Amino acid sequence: MCRNHATVRSLLAELVGTSRGPIVADMEAGLENFSRGTPRHVDTLLVVMEPYFRSLETAGRAFELGRELGIPKIAAVANKVRNDEDAQAIRDFCGARAIPISGWIPYDEGVLAAERAGRALLDQPGPSGAAVAAISKLADSLGAA
Amino acid sequence: MRIAVAGKGGVGKTTISGSLARLLSRRAGGALAVDGDSNPNLAVALGLPQKEAMNLPTVPRDVMERRFDAAGEERLMLALTPEEIADRYGIDAPDGVRLLVLGRVGHAGTG
Repeated sequence: MCRNHATVRSLLAELVGTSRGPIVADMEAGLENFSRGTPRHVDTLLVVMEPYFRSLETAGRAFELGRELGIPKIAAVANKVRNDEDAQAIRDFCGARAIPISGWIPYDEGVLAAERAGRALLDQPGPSGAAVAAISKLADSLGAA
Repeated sequence: MRIAVAGKGGVGKTTISGSLARLLSRRAGGALAVDGDSNPNLAVALGLPQKEAMNLPTVPRDVMERRFDAAGEERLMLALTPEEIADRYGIDAPDGVRLLVLGRVGHAGTG
């Protein structure tokens, strides 16, 4: 096992375990830096997915790992959803695996515009986008949990 | 509330993490964002200028030390409290978020 990875994992587990207040940890795609100790401290794993095969496949593995690790709440966040077909693909995938869906974020040009400008989505000028509204709703639902 | 966000690269994981951290921070009066991915994108997603995001301090490895836990097992544990770590190595981001970037992982196999 790579020692660097082991250190990052331990650090993450210890940090998350002892801090107060909300913590949001942006993980490596494959959850490489989760240790067995991490789920004692992480209460929620959100797996972001787009409705296409490779994204769903990675998401499926993240769910399995999250379950193996015993994380109490594991939920999907559907992103870049353009239409009913997209939504149905996500529903089918999650339904087959009994994965709850916590957030639906529509495809939003504002996200691309913010990325192009190197700006935070929340700082993107102009009318507040559909994506921001959806993430805000997600934040509310997490707060209520 | 301790949330880990995962997903394939490019799905919007970091944009969602950054936005979520700020929105939760507004509600709770502060939040900690942890960049566990080895790239500086979370800083940009939180709203730090790109130039600053490219040169962020990282949490050094020596904040972990080997100790024996109650069961007598040797474990890597924090040498500082998370608050001390956030104070020393964190960066202020908008909406009261404190950002911690975990050390970049070097080449695979260096360990």
